[in-house]
Amino acid sequence: MHADLIPALDAAGLPGPPWLFHVLLVVTFFLHLLFMNLTLGGTLLAAIAHFRAGGRSDDPRGALAGRLMAINGYGISLTITTGVAPLLFIQVLYQQYFYTATILIAGVWLAFLLLLTLGYYSAYLYKFRGAPARGRGGGLWLAASAVMFLLMAMVNVAVHLLHAQPERWADFASGAACVLLDPTYLPRLLHFVLAGIGAAALLATWWAVRRARAGVEVELNAKIAGFAWRWVLWTTVVQVVDGVLLLLLLPRPVLSAFMRGGAATMVPLTLAILLGVGLLVMIARVASPLASPGIVSGTLAAMVLTIAVMSITRHQARALYLEPSTTLYQHVVAPQWFNFALWVVLLVLGLATVGSMVRRVLSSPATGADAA
Amino acid sequence: MGYPIWDLAIGGSLLMALVAIPHVIVSHFAIGGGLLIAVTETLAVKRGDRELRGLAKRSSLVLILVSTVFGVISGVGIWVVAGLVSPGAISTLIHTYVWGWAIEWVFFVVEIVAALIYYATWNTISKRAHLLVGWIYFVGAYLSLVIINGIITFMLTPGRWLETGAFWDGFFNPTYWPSLVLRTGICLMMATAFMVFPAMRTAAAHRDRLVRYLGWWMVAGALVSYAGYRWWEAVLPDSVQGLFRGAAPALATLAATRHFALWALTAALVVAAVILLARPRLARPATAAVLALAAFAFFGGYERLREGARKPFLIHSHTFSNGLQVADIAAVNERGVLATAGWGARAAAADPAVTGREVFRAQCAACHTLDGYQSIRKALPSVADVLAVAADDPPGSGARAFRARCAACHAGVSFDDMRGVLPSANEVRGDPGMIRDLNQGMITATLVKLRGMGAAYAAADRTRMIDTSALPSPYMPPFVGTEPELGALSAHLGSLADDRQPRVAMRGGE
Repeated sequence: MHADLIPALDAAGLPGPPWLFHVLLVVTFFLHLLFMNLTLGGTLLAAIAHFRAGGRSDDPRGALAGRLMAINGYGISLTITTGVAPLLFIQVLYQQYFYTATILIAGVWLAFLLLLTLGYYSAYLYKFRGAPARGRGGGLWLAASAVMFLLMAMVNVAVHLLHAQPERWADFASGAACVLLDPTYLPRLLHFVLAGIGAAALLATWWAVRRARAGVEVELNAKIAGFAWRWVLWTTVVQVVDGVLLLLLLPRPVLSAFMRGGAATMVPLTLAILLGVGLLVMIARVASPLASPGIVSGTLAAMVLTIAVMSITRHQARALYLEPSTTLYQHVVAPQWFNFALWVVLLVLGLATVGSMVRRVLSSPATGADAA
Repeated sequence: MGYPIWDLAIGGSLLMALVAIPHVIVSHFAIGGGLLIAVTETLAVKRGDRELRGLAKRSSLVLILVSTVFGVISGVGIWVVAGLVSPGAISTLIHTYVWGWAIEWVFFVVEIVAALIYYATWNTISKRAHLLVGWIYFVGAYLSLVIINGIITFMLTPGRWLETGAFWDGFFNPTYWPSLVLRTGICLMMATAFMVFPAMRTAAAHRDRLVRYLGWWMVAGALVSYAGYRWWEAVLPDSVQGLFRGAAPALATLAATRHFALWALTAALVVAAVILLARPRLARPATAAVLALAAFAFFGGYERLREGARKPFLIHSHTFSNGLQVADIAAVNERGVLATAGWGARAAAADPAVTGREVFRAQCAACHTLDGYQSIRKALPSVADVLAVAADDPPGSGARAFRARCAACHAGVSFDDMRGVLPSANEVRGDPGMIRDLNQGMITATLVKLRGMGAAYAAADRTRMIDTSALPSPYMPPFVGTEPELGALSAHLGSLADDRQPRVAMRGGE
């Protein structure tokens, strides 16, 4: 441990107790993950489906690609929007690790912005000029978007591993690219990518089943559901294997700290593993999603729950990685309770505003001269 | 100061400007656009005006493609860049204002969701519901400005926060309200500048009417901006105003920026009044481009002025632009700058010869690159400079060289005075080492002077904004560190000035 390389805590102190920021970091990261799965996994799945369909939107797989990217036009915005909050809270709790990690790979971290811009606009180009709008083509834009988001995932995993291992900063300083050689790098990246594709495929299945059962384009929706469901199944199979591998590859001290942590760490970890295996069992039981809408909905709910629990486990893993360093200091706390309360009130009001706006929009359909 | 330093050829401040300027233009457009589009659609519904509706609809496409995509990404970009080039300062800001940013995030969520719904529901929901979404968008967007304005203005005029450390004392600081008025005007100007383009695409029979309609908005925006600007300037402390106002402003470039910004605002107002309002028929795409350029120039000029007027601080009277806090000067002087910059200390421990380079990176690299933006090498006297002054061949060239290379640091010294103390050209040619020694002496003397400023800062009343105008270099942070560190930095800078030494790489300090 090169303690001298870890910057000092900010003298301003924490504007609230540490536990509060830990909770906020996990909760907002979970929200971000929900949309991020759609952005990363949805775009990758759309690219796969698009090319499997030969770039035609009259093929069910092409229609699936169109649907996913239609959602992503909005989903990417919401991914970024929900990503702002955990980015804020990580800077409060772990600024000395986070900033140092990003500076160590500054060029790549800065390129993150470029990748995001290119990925986002490529997604729009596909939506407005590719298969969804014109019926065929646009694969290049879709592929570009998928590659950009995949590269962004790689950057994020690298930053995460760098910031969690200050004892290795001295090595990283002479060539931060060696973070790619970290034994957990690829399994960790794969964990996110598979989760993304699985979640996006599951959402697509759920929507297609819902539409088919409502009598809308039954044949098309049945085919989309069948295709997407197979992706849910296979990504979950590989995910369970990858998850176990990732667990085994964790540094010994981190793994033993998980075991020593008692219920606080073992309950979420065990629950996450059980949920993963449970998901696999639920998915494997269903040959035709259209015939089992209840299980499809249940699987979707279970997957959201799994993501929530995994968010906790991931946060705990970070805390355990950093334990040798974080035990050396104590945060100075200068709480701003009034400001926190104000934030909570405004958050509730803001969400209520969004909720009532959405309700109003859904209950005010209009066409022709009556429409806006 | 304990963070590793990112060596960037173009310099951190320039990178920040490259990301921040487009962001502020787009984000202000997003706010002003929200108001203009909501008002425009409201008028269109009330009057049954299809052209106004068309203008609102076309503008909303720009709003979503530019604001919710580029605006959002570049907004995150500012944090990314700030974390890379000024981690200490952004950390202090976030620890002080995390709940402010969290509140802004709430408004941001409302704004983004409303923007996405607004664009997607043209022709599909009732007029009233659509108007409601538009107005919710504007309110969310404007409230995010209400919040972020407090944090931005805090950095220049922290006000009573310096004394109390209280969130709201810093938030509602002396420039908060003037800046809010100014930015409100800028929002209107940015939005109008953008919306003139879609207005030009309206059918010829209605184009003049819409152009004139936008003209009123532009004139209103320019007048509100001007009022806000003058108010902002008036509430700045004299020491800050002295940097760019008065008969002898301390920073001539900032004074020039101020003139540029105000002339740009005048140009925007004149074009809006003469063409958009009085002669809308003369409006062409080029007119819209000129209007947009003038509005951007004013805004960019103001932002440059605001950033420059904060020199040498990131948070006025609290944190210098290199991350050093005023409160830490005495401790750093005693322990050494490398003792607080572990990354630099590690490099220096491995090779003592690079101590000066590491001190440079910790103290100076936040503002100076080696050969790029604010090049430190160009700021240092070289043998060639001294030779040019001493030789004065052809006659007159020495005085020009003196004005270009020496006068900034030797105020009150004439060309003849300088020639009087310099060796002759032949002596310089015969023994360039003598000039290196002379340079080294000048560099050391400058550093000693900068170090002396540290004592003045340390002794200053930190519960009030520090008046830097009486200091020898009012826009530069002091040098802090031990005597050996000062010597090492001086030697490093001296080696940079010596043209006969092999040039080091462009990347700062490497």
